[in-house]
Amino acid sequence: MTRKYWKGLEELKETPEFIKQRENEFPSQVSVEEFLSDDKLNETSTARRDFLKFLGFSVAAASLAACEAPVTRAVPYVIKPENVTLGMPTWYASTYYDGSSYTSILVKTREGRPIFIKGNKDFGITKGGVNPQIIASVLGLYDSERLKNASIGGVDVTQSKLDAAVISALKSAKKVTLISNTVISPSMNRAIGTMAADLNVNGATKFEHITYDAVSYSAMREANLQNFGAAILPSYDFSKAKSIVSIGADFLSTWLMATEYAAQYGSRRNPEKEAEGEWMSKHFQFESNMSISGSNADYRGMIKPSEQAAVLSYFIKGLGGACAIAATVPASAEKAAKEALSSLKKNKKNALVVCGSNNVGLQLLTNQLNSLLGSYGTTIDLNNDLKLFQGDDKKVQAFANQVIAGKGSDMIIFMGVNPVYTLPNGAAFGKALKGVKTTLSLSAYADETTTLCSHASPDHHALESWNDFQVKPSHYAVAQPTIRPLHDTTSALESILVWNGKASRAGKDSNVAYDYIKETYATLFPSGDFAYTTHNSCENITVAAAAALTYKSAPITNLPKSGALEVILYQKAAIGTGAQANNPWLQEMPDPITKATWDNYITMNPVEMEKLGYVTTYDQEHGLDLATVTVNGLSVTLPVYPLPGQAINTIGIALGYGRGANGEKIGKAAFQTKEYGGYEVGENGLHVPIGANVFAFASSNFELEAVGTIKKVDGTYKIAATQIHHTVMGRHSIVRETTLDTFLAKDKEAYNPAHTLQKLNKEGHHEERPVSEFDLWDAHPVEKIGHRWGMTIDLSSCIGCGSCLVACQSENNVPVVGKDEVRRGREMHWLRIDRYFASDEEAAVGQRKDKETFSYSKAELAAENPKVVHMPLMCHHCNHAPCETVCPVAATTHSNEGLNQMTYNRCIGTRYCANNCPYKVRRFNWFNYPSYKKFTEVNPAQDDLGRMVLNPDVTVRTRGVMEKCSFCVQRIQSTKLVAKKEARTIIDGELATACSDACPTNAIIVGDWNDSKSSVFASSNSKRAYQALEEVGVKPNVWYKVKVRNEVNELLSSIQVVKEAPHHEKKKGQH
Amino acid sequence: MQKEAVIREPLILGHKSYHDVTEDVCRPIEDKAPRMWYILFGIALIIGLYGVGCILYLLGTGIGVWGLNKTIGWAWDITNFVWWVGIGHAGTLISAVLLLFRQKWRMAINRSAEAMTIFAVFMAGLFPLIHMGRLWVGYWVLPLPNQFGSLWVNFNSPLLWDVFAISTYLSVSLVFWYIGLIPDFATIRDRAKKPVAKKMYSILSFGWSGRAKHWNRFETVSLVLAGLATPLVFSVHSIVSFDFATSVIPGWHTTIFPPYFVCGAVFSGFAMVQTLLLVMRKAMGLEAYIHTKHVEYMNIVIMVTGSIVGTAYITELFISWYSGVEYEAYAFLNRATGPYWWAYWSMMTCNVISPQLMWIRKLRRSLMFTFFISIVVNIGMWFERYVIIVTSIHRDYVPAAWSMHYPSHIDIGVYIGTIGLFFVFFLLFARYFPVLALNEVKTILKGSGQSYKESPDYHKHH
Repeated sequence: MTRKYWKGLEELKETPEFIKQRENEFPSQVSVEEFLSDDKLNETSTARRDFLKFLGFSVAAASLAACEAPVTRAVPYVIKPENVTLGMPTWYASTYYDGSSYTSILVKTREGRPIFIKGNKDFGITKGGVNPQIIASVLGLYDSERLKNASIGGVDVTQSKLDAAVISALKSAKKVTLISNTVISPSMNRAIGTMAADLNVNGATKFEHITYDAVSYSAMREANLQNFGAAILPSYDFSKAKSIVSIGADFLSTWLMATEYAAQYGSRRNPEKEAEGEWMSKHFQFESNMSISGSNADYRGMIKPSEQAAVLSYFIKGLGGACAIAATVPASAEKAAKEALSSLKKNKKNALVVCGSNNVGLQLLTNQLNSLLGSYGTTIDLNNDLKLFQGDDKKVQAFANQVIAGKGSDMIIFMGVNPVYTLPNGAAFGKALKGVKTTLSLSAYADETTTLCSHASPDHHALESWNDFQVKPSHYAVAQPTIRPLHDTTSALESILVWNGKASRAGKDSNVAYDYIKETYATLFPSGDFAYTTHNSCENITVAAAAALTYKSAPITNLPKSGALEVILYQKAAIGTGAQANNPWLQEMPDPITKATWDNYITMNPVEMEKLGYVTTYDQEHGLDLATVTVNGLSVTLPVYPLPGQAINTIGIALGYGRGANGEKIGKAAFQTKEYGGYEVGENGLHVPIGANVFAFASSNFELEAVGTIKKVDGTYKIAATQIHHTVMGRHSIVRETTLDTFLAKDKEAYNPAHTLQKLNKEGHHEERPVSEFDLWDAHPVEKIGHRWGMTIDLSSCIGCGSCLVACQSENNVPVVGKDEVRRGREMHWLRIDRYFASDEEAAVGQRKDKETFSYSKAELAAENPKVVHMPLMCHHCNHAPCETVCPVAATTHSNEGLNQMTYNRCIGTRYCANNCPYKVRRFNWFNYPSYKKFTEVNPAQDDLGRMVLNPDVTVRTRGVMEKCSFCVQRIQSTKLVAKKEARTIIDGELATACSDACPTNAIIVGDWNDSKSSVFASSNSKRAYQALEEVGVKPNVWYKVKVRNEVNELLSSIQVVKEAPHHEKKKGQH
Repeated sequence: MQKEAVIREPLILGHKSYHDVTEDVCRPIEDKAPRMWYILFGIALIIGLYGVGCILYLLGTGIGVWGLNKTIGWAWDITNFVWWVGIGHAGTLISAVLLLFRQKWRMAINRSAEAMTIFAVFMAGLFPLIHMGRLWVGYWVLPLPNQFGSLWVNFNSPLLWDVFAISTYLSVSLVFWYIGLIPDFATIRDRAKKPVAKKMYSILSFGWSGRAKHWNRFETVSLVLAGLATPLVFSVHSIVSFDFATSVIPGWHTTIFPPYFVCGAVFSGFAMVQTLLLVMRKAMGLEAYIHTKHVEYMNIVIMVTGSIVGTAYITELFISWYSGVEYEAYAFLNRATGPYWWAYWSMMTCNVISPQLMWIRKLRRSLMFTFFISIVVNIGMWFERYVIIVTSIHRDYVPAAWSMHYPSHIDIGVYIGTIGLFFVFFLLFARYFPVLALNEVKTILKGSGQSYKESPDYHKHH
């Protein structure tokens, strides 16, 4: 029995058409000519051209799909845009201002994407001064958790809908308050001014603008108001100060306009200048926390916050001034105070005293001291005042209290501020926001404040918008966009104008802000060329000399209270006030002083910790003891970190942590992650924030010093630090330090002796000869042939700020690995900054007091108030590189330009090279950082948007290969290419590595060492130059320069003497 | 009455006939395996498979699953490698060097010692492979012609020398071992009744017929291979030591390393042989062939090499002080008093003190004591490698980079796993291979005359 299957009803019924068709194998016999001659062909939807396109596309798609890595989103340029050449960077001059830091910057864009930011050394008043936060801010542009469009009540809406809602709210509101960070934009101020003028009821404005700074400098303005009659912040010039006394002001990192001060300070820390008839400044720091500035000081005194007044009084009285406060300087600061006083007496008006406290009394004392010295007019300029930090504490507090009491404005606009997080009473303020009829946030993130607002109209990222700034009356600067807005965000300036009916939206390519800024510019510079100013990013304005402000004394009250335990809230170089707490580069940047990453903690002097029973050492598996700090009834539990140099009976806690504690979506990297990836989830079901917020500890007048108690609690907490050993163990060939007097008076041999070995001379006697004469190997043919790239790092100028580290990460696509991996000692930074504390066994860092009695176990412990040296360390590109000989597959080799090259493709990952590196600068890809699940939350390269920040000139490394500093070989190559195209040799200074580019104090010099006229050659031949671990014989291409402290150190001077010639040399005649 | 002095303790106890030897060796292969074998094999297999699992996880995820860090690029991986290579030293030494020196007592132990060597070298070889970040391109260490712009290996690198040394050692040891096995396989083949077993053993025995010509060639090849293998005994561990000795790291950069490593290897290898044989002789009823005399001989080797190792430790300490090199001095001070003092003192106790107890005759002839010491020695030798590798690099030149090493559970899993795999191999060997070189042992069997002398008939006539 056979079954029959039919193809269809036609076959079953055997219709005539079917039978006819069955005969023909090919259904229709239309010839090509016939087909093409069909008139109706053109009417079909698929035209011949389309068909060919489809065909072409299918072939291309098929072949693309067959490729191993299909290009999924390639957008070709059909018409080449002006200024964009594939593979060539375009640089834009711009200006950075985030409410606390201001600087002139240069933005590098590649194929339209900004990928690198550096300080502008040619234009502007900051002279290339940057900090890590500025360099890392480029990453924020590509944060996928930035708000992408406007929303009302948490629901996304179109911008026009939001605008309509805001305009009607503005109309109906009884009182409108705009609370913003300090606005230094003349255009924005003009726009706000028009809004204030236009929003009025019966002639009286219903609009108020309150300036609020997360960290306030209001006391300085208040003190200047009392002393000079003007609530201003003066301009300081640290390059004119021969004697600098800082009372708790971290002016090299976070205090006022540190970007400007760091470069000024750095220009006076070069001891060679002193030898050339110039001078080197003398820096005294009196502080409770070990700050970056304190770690660089020539003398550092440890004082409690409540003792600041006594120290100031000591100077005032010492200089013959009158002061009612007892001048009892604590023993821990006595020596420094004595030296400081004599230096102040000597330098008088060439001295500068600054104080970091936000206490009016202390600032009044500082003013009195400066006026006694006569610093006004030399190191302090009251005429050209600083426009930063205009916040008025009293106004802010009154406003906050009103809102909390439910009596404030019925419409609040937040711009550039996050008061729910940063106000001491932020939690109460946040709760009260619900009672306000309209709350509108312009924040780029759904941060603590924005999530509580009814309306959100996210601002552009700074790199997407036009802006202008006037940080000082004498200086006007422009910020220009470097990329078309990525999301449907709107410029804050445009929004203010639109809401006030002065302009209308024009989409992403809107010119509203640009035109408005041009208008402002035209009023400031009637004959100016805006394009020219934009090109340079800034323009100077001549300030008419105003009538000199005269000092008049004011009564001093309300000085900081003393207590058994005084708490200091400070800003870290990387995190600051926490605005960029979601930036993984910054979270992973080791703190310049503690070397800890991804956390805040309580800093306490290890001497005190021993007494109180806290553990004082930590490593990968051994955490630190937890303690609860209570201030004003509020408590925070954090680990206690042993920080030498912390004043006894004081503790420090960093601000800026504990962001997103209520589950706010402030960024992927802002929360704690688990060992195998994913977020740590707390008991409340929310992501666990990193560290704890201590803004609430600040007093109601925003003073960052408080009195509190500390209590050890059960449990330990593992800290992820990149350095777990803190002293240099008396190793003089790693760090060298001397005093200015020794440097000036003695031979190089005294403070920077060359290593010698014994060699047989012709007569058969042993002779001490420099290590450089001994060699096991044939020299690489790099000397005097072609280029030989070299670098010098001046330990005297390096302030340890960390800018180079972040710049290197940004330039070289260095992966972020997260807290757990850093804790395991696997951070990937190509450049690290080693920070050494002196021990009691050392007269200076690396210099043993007594070689005979030197004890290693004692040398492991830092002194109570140690001297500090910051030592940037990257691949030394040794000419006899130990890594090169041991690689079995020759994956790391020497270039004929003296570079130690790493060929990722060839690497099989034995890690032998890393083991054999005396400097331990090689980094291994333990995991596949661009894809492994553990790094999804932290590594920007795992995010479609985050990947945009990668430098296309640098390979992203896969797992299992070794990597390390390449001396920015991509920059070397492009510099060479540019020179070649112009048919010339490379000009000295033309090449800059990412680190040397970023350095605000020009401590790093790179160049061609074979060019005997180059600055790097000269620098490497200076009396201070030495090669770290020279005696190992690896012949590095990096030189360090001895750290010179401008101090009197008799012990060190007695050790650093020129040694007598060996006895056999003397007896030579007898033989 | 005629008096006859016993010159030497006999190497085979009791009255064994040639047939007895064959029976004793073949019985375990022909009988059903005892319950204990299955239990042990099961345990070893489970541990071994766990190790394989850990290795697969390692290969799938990255070297980061181990406890290494930026400062400590090698720790348990290379420690285990050197440890296993060291263990793998005894076999060839016993079969080659002792053959050349005509030490007949080796015949009872050389087969299993060589098997141990080969399995240990397997385990050792695993570590350099899996420690690579990119195992899949590991073949680049071989000097193969290629199209990568004709990239060649770096002949300066001691790791490359390792590749050659280990692979040569493994192949020569394997051939040497197999040649010795051929006549014994033939014996088993001839006795085998089951067709599959007969087929298998006849393949393995390469058609050996026992003709005089075969024996002649067998002896010649053995001698030639012994001559070839002897330098390898010294070269392998010398070259392994070059991994460290040619570096610039204080504590690694030590000229004493080659002889020190070779002695250490023999030391640990003999200890492992003791551990295995003391169990095996009991389990397989080979007490007559491997007895106190053999154990005593091996203990003397352990004592001598242990003393050399101890001397090397003390020499290192002296040189570190005498050299006046700051880093060298600190490296050794740190070993003894730094955070890893416990590892250093474990090593010193196990390797320096314990072999000295062998001076006491009673102890070196005690089987229980020997078993205990053999384990102690191998623990000590593991710590020796750990001390050399980890305590040298965890604090080398730049104090800011100093670090600590904490093993992960994958580190431990891989190590334990290799021990499991080693026993899987060894138990299979004990089950299916002749554990004694039965045809060689027959050459040292006392003649029938001796048997007759000791028989009651002999006494009757006198």
